[in-house]
Amino acid sequence: MNKQSLTQYYRKHRKAIVTATSGLLYGGGWSLGYLTSFDLAGAAILILATVVGGYDIAKTAYHEVTNRTLGIKTLVTLAAIGAIIIGEYWEAAAVVFLFSLGSYLEGRTMRKTRTALQELLEMTPETATVRRDGELQEVPAREVEEGEVVVVKPGGKIPVDGTVVDGESAVNQAPVTGESAPVHKADGDEVYAGTVNQEGALEIRTTGAGSDTTLERIIRRVEEAQEAQSPTESLIDRFAKYYTPAVIVLAIGAYAVTQNAILSLTLLVIGCPGALVIGPPVSIVSAIGNAARSGVLMKGGEHLERAGKIDLVAFDKTGTLTKGETTVADVRGFGIDDDEVLSLAATAEKKSEHHLADAIVDAAHERPTAATDGGTTVAQAEDANGGRQSVPDPDDFDVVAGKGVIAHAGGHEVVVGNRALLDDHDIDTPDRIADYVREREERGETVVHVIRDGDVIGAIAMRDELREAAPGVVAALRDAGIETVMLTGDNERTAAAVAEEVDIDEYRAELLPEDKQSVIEAYQADGHVVAMVGDGINDAPSLATADVGIAMGAAGTDTAIETADMALMADDLERIPYAVKLSKATRWNVLENVGLAVLTVTVLLAGVLTSYVTLASGMLVHEASVLAVILNGMRLLRY
Amino acid sequence: MSDTTQFRVLDFDCPTCASTVERALSNADGVQRVEVHYSTGRVEIEYDDSVATPDAFAETIENQGYTPQPA
Repeated sequence: MNKQSLTQYYRKHRKAIVTATSGLLYGGGWSLGYLTSFDLAGAAILILATVVGGYDIAKTAYHEVTNRTLGIKTLVTLAAIGAIIIGEYWEAAAVVFLFSLGSYLEGRTMRKTRTALQELLEMTPETATVRRDGELQEVPAREVEEGEVVVVKPGGKIPVDGTVVDGESAVNQAPVTGESAPVHKADGDEVYAGTVNQEGALEIRTTGAGSDTTLERIIRRVEEAQEAQSPTESLIDRFAKYYTPAVIVLAIGAYAVTQNAILSLTLLVIGCPGALVIGPPVSIVSAIGNAARSGVLMKGGEHLERAGKIDLVAFDKTGTLTKGETTVADVRGFGIDDDEVLSLAATAEKKSEHHLADAIVDAAHERPTAATDGGTTVAQAEDANGGRQSVPDPDDFDVVAGKGVIAHAGGHEVVVGNRALLDDHDIDTPDRIADYVREREERGETVVHVIRDGDVIGAIAMRDELREAAPGVVAALRDAGIETVMLTGDNERTAAAVAEEVDIDEYRAELLPEDKQSVIEAYQADGHVVAMVGDGINDAPSLATADVGIAMGAAGTDTAIETADMALMADDLERIPYAVKLSKATRWNVLENVGLAVLTVTVLLAGVLTSYVTLASGMLVHEASVLAVILNGMRLLRY
Repeated sequence: MSDTTQFRVLDFDCPTCASTVERALSNADGVQRVEVHYSTGRVEIEYDDSVATPDAFAETIENQGYTPQPA
């Protein structure tokens, strides 16, 4: 090993080398004094052990003092100097050695917590293959410009955020969304930097590179979350500010009264509430890091602590418990042709952006329309021309929020809506129509009536399939002692059918968007700590009202990541029991750590005041308690 | 002009260590704003680049007994 690499090696492992040397000297000095009569030699070696182990500590202590912060290194330095002055060389060496060993181990374990996220960043490749001037060029990934086309080979990592413009493949998005199953990607689909292209070559038009990628934003967000203090942390910080000076005053006071130097110096050693200040941040950082790697972003320790108290989870129905892909299940005309009903409804709904409207227009498109009278080929030809040409535009159109639409087309007034809209307009529903509607609703379908010039001429039943995971998620939450509620704008019957299918505890039907907020407020007034699960955009107000707002499928939507207390990167409902349980485990972990720390300090104080605990044993217990809370907190990394 | 630089210190062994480094950096020449986080080890410094350089900050951190790494 040449001199340079030796220096490098020393620099890198300085703490370990210093600790080991001081430990060896300490052992040697102690044996010499214990086994032989070379007392003086033994004392000299123990002083040397103190100096070797204590030099770095004293240096930092000097900086602490000049920067006017009162830290443990100042206290340890004072205690070691004091012990040497009164001739307790063994105590001095032991305190310094144990402290060095403790902080070396603490630094090493904390490093693991601190680098847990960096591993995610390392998923992004350094270089990208870009098509420039008709040629493929290898450039640093950070320098890819927006709009440039990047080529990713099968098995390669995707270097930028972008849209697929050519090729088809399965992409493993676990680093970004936490989903374990690969996602199929083709023309027009979004892909994220750091994800892995598994099957075919992809050409991707860049939408973000370098620090402007979803993964980078996630990591920034997670770090901010880890750095934000939870209420427990700030409480402890305030306490710690007074604790250390108080113990120093106590040490001076104790010396003045008892003239017992060992007692006073020992008080200094335990004067830093180590485990108390270190425990909660380690628990929270570990939990947030773990969640991030599973595709769940937590906004911070405060939210995590609150999430640990959740006893009721409210789910928005559409897009949360269901897939959010509404399709027309059945069309029924009363007195007129089924297809004509669909065609009329599609015209009325054409300009609406409601998800039910989309389903109706899509269905009209796929079905042979009344006008072409069963001409499938014509419908397809029109499809090929693109757009919704087969559905004519309405002359005018009005949305009645939460109820339906009123439009004019071809000289007729066409109303498409739910029962509330019918009641508003005093429109009677003939029995056979009402029977049909009831029958479909009891299957969990949503039915709209189609009214032409004041007469109900038909009804359209629509279905939004449940997510396969939904019943399991509700059951898992129930096992964890958490109530579940479904909130929906659907009518009572449809809601009851869906609620039964999911086996959810409660449901609230016929809610307008603003009603969902009041329902949550009512639960809160009853003393519940409520989590609301929604899509993060339409449900933003109720997510904000809930104690913990959980947004689903947040990977592509920055607003959801910014506003929700928790964001599930994927549309993966199964992360919810995991996130809720992790929050509960974190809350317990923080309490365990605080409990252990308070117990340690109490026992130590009692021990010191009764002279059972001296410098070395005090330091041993202190360092052991710090390591214990760190290791306990780190369990959450593997939760 | 004002510029921002980041370091990562993985060997903070107690929260006070982080506050000591924060104090030291905020007293350094040209520093306008500084954040040091014990939990993540992240150091962010906003400084006047006509007065100071990131290397000087790295040295300040080293002098306090910790190892800065580029973030």
